[in-house]
Amino acid sequence: MTVLAAVNTLAIAVFSVILAITLVITYWASKRARSTSEFYAAGRGITGFQNGLAISGDYLSAASFLGIAGLIFLFGFDGFIYSIGFLVAFLTVMFLLAERMRNAGKFTIADVLSFRLRERPARVAAALGTLTVAAFYLIAQMVGAGVLIEKLVGINFTLSVLLTGTFMLCYVVFGGMLATTWVQITKAVLLMTGIFVMSVFVLERVGFNPIELFNQAEAQGQGKESTFSLGPGTFLKNPIDTVSLGLALVLGTAGLPHILMRFFTVPDAKAARSSVVYAMFIIGGFYILTTFIGFGARAVLGEGGVEAAGKGGNLAAPLLAQELGGGEGTTGGDLFLAVIAGVAFATILAVVAGLVLSASSAVAHDVWSSIIRKGQNSDREEVIAAKIAALTIGAIAMLAAIVGGSGLNVSFMVGLAFAIAASANFPALLLALSWPRFNTAGAVTGVLFGIGSALVLISISPIVWGGPPGAPDTGAFAWYDLNNPGLISIPMGFLGCVLGTLLSKERGAERSFHELYVRSETGLGAEKAAAKH
Amino acid sequence: MEEEEPLAPRGEAQAAHTEDRPAGEIDWQAIERSPEFQELIRRRRSFVLPGTIFFLGWYMAFILLTAYAVDFMSERVYQGLTVGYVLALTQFLMVLVLGIMYLRRADKVYDPLARRAIARFVDDDAAKPTTTTEETPR
Repeated sequence: MTVLAAVNTLAIAVFSVILAITLVITYWASKRARSTSEFYAAGRGITGFQNGLAISGDYLSAASFLGIAGLIFLFGFDGFIYSIGFLVAFLTVMFLLAERMRNAGKFTIADVLSFRLRERPARVAAALGTLTVAAFYLIAQMVGAGVLIEKLVGINFTLSVLLTGTFMLCYVVFGGMLATTWVQITKAVLLMTGIFVMSVFVLERVGFNPIELFNQAEAQGQGKESTFSLGPGTFLKNPIDTVSLGLALVLGTAGLPHILMRFFTVPDAKAARSSVVYAMFIIGGFYILTTFIGFGARAVLGEGGVEAAGKGGNLAAPLLAQELGGGEGTTGGDLFLAVIAGVAFATILAVVAGLVLSASSAVAHDVWSSIIRKGQNSDREEVIAAKIAALTIGAIAMLAAIVGGSGLNVSFMVGLAFAIAASANFPALLLALSWPRFNTAGAVTGVLFGIGSALVLISISPIVWGGPPGAPDTGAFAWYDLNNPGLISIPMGFLGCVLGTLLSKERGAERSFHELYVRSETGLGAEKAAAKH
Repeated sequence: MEEEEPLAPRGEAQAAHTEDRPAGEIDWQAIERSPEFQELIRRRRSFVLPGTIFFLGWYMAFILLTAYAVDFMSERVYQGLTVGYVLALTQFLMVLVLGIMYLRRADKVYDPLARRAIARFVDDDAAKPTTTTEETPR
């Protein structure tokens, strides 16, 4: 059971089919992506169900699919903790933000903040939060793309990153949000179908009895070397770090710009909330099926598959597909492997496109149009600025991924992106919508405290300092052993918001609070949908 | 494609968001004080606030157990099924149940209340939630 070394022609064929579909979508969308409302928000004509699929497509990254299946294969229960956090986070989004974002916002997080705060500082702060989160998330995904394509298809890392980046930019620049949305929907359908078929194959082996799958997985996870366990503590060994990660996951989604941006693509608040419930079902189902894949990989591949699955177990799912299809060298095995590899590729493309779009909207809408041009530019100019921003951001991300190389740990980077999102974006957004006294100084201090504390804590964390092998894991300081900064940086974000507000004399934001409050709760004056597509 | 967005500078509309914006014809504070709006806030809050406390509490309890009660979470309920997995499944259940409960309440209670809250203060034409922000001054 070796990882494919040579170029896999079957996988390339599957990849080509997927790329062809996405290019047809992009061509169709390109004729419509002219105005800012079309470019950033698909004319707000996406239905609740479509948006539920697109949210799933935006959210379920390669870290979710291959990463979590791999962690469950290697460690059992601990891999599942990520799934729970990623899912429960949608209650935070639904109860606290989704509808109010749709009612009060236009294209970006900054629109909601600047509604009642002084525009320039509020937009600069929000854009900073968006870009920091997008940078961590985007580089993580690009590295993931490079590593996976290199292993699965046999083309080298640099070329893989360039390929992914080029197609991602193609969707965003030519097709805007409409193309990105439909690429995400296509990906969600492909991913759910692929993982469902695989699960049926796995469950068929145990007579469709999940408990039997648990038993067989455990039987294959015995032995001194094995890290597999049906209980916690084999992967997340430091309890306080587990709590920190758990907190970052459940609050982080509510600060992810590319997810929040999706709520601007639906016609109204009703569609926004129904899209969250559709996403909950799709994402919840996905994580249940991922468990079957992870356990299936453990039961079928056993301890012997650990080495082939690579660091982090990322290749466990593709290897399982190969085995289920008939094994290495058989037509069925090669075909199933190629299809699952193709699904993983589509997964990455959809996520990175969403990220680049949200980052470019922050640059073009918040920084260029509102701050540099002070709103005097035309709508068309902003779309052009957004396309240039997307190209620049995409190029930087590709470069960073190539320079940083395959050594970067993908799930770790994504965990950090969640921590920064929860610390910088979430507190300011929540307080802007619910605290009358909240003001500009509060928002700026909160975002800066959130980003600053998260970045400082990450830079002194054990995983960054990485002691010599065998030594106890400590960071720059013996007393600090959190790998995920959330437990400290999220309260810091809130603290910054409160301190900044109370220590400044600015009170004007209270007057405009009434308008934002009524708008966000009732939808009065909300951005309307453009004509149907 | 329909040109629904004006190509003129959008400065006014956006600047109006922040500085001393003319409240236009809509009296936001009056809407805010209206019994319908207060009822909307009360009804929504009476679900969302306890709901948020409950789901965050139950989720963090699960995380704390995972972190600090490894032996308890590893105990067997039935063969390979451990306490940890049973509790994890309750998290899935919680998400779906709370999600659907909120959706139903929002459709049946909050939306009609919101419509009534804004209908009292604006004429029929403007009552549809489609006004102001992007409109060019006439």
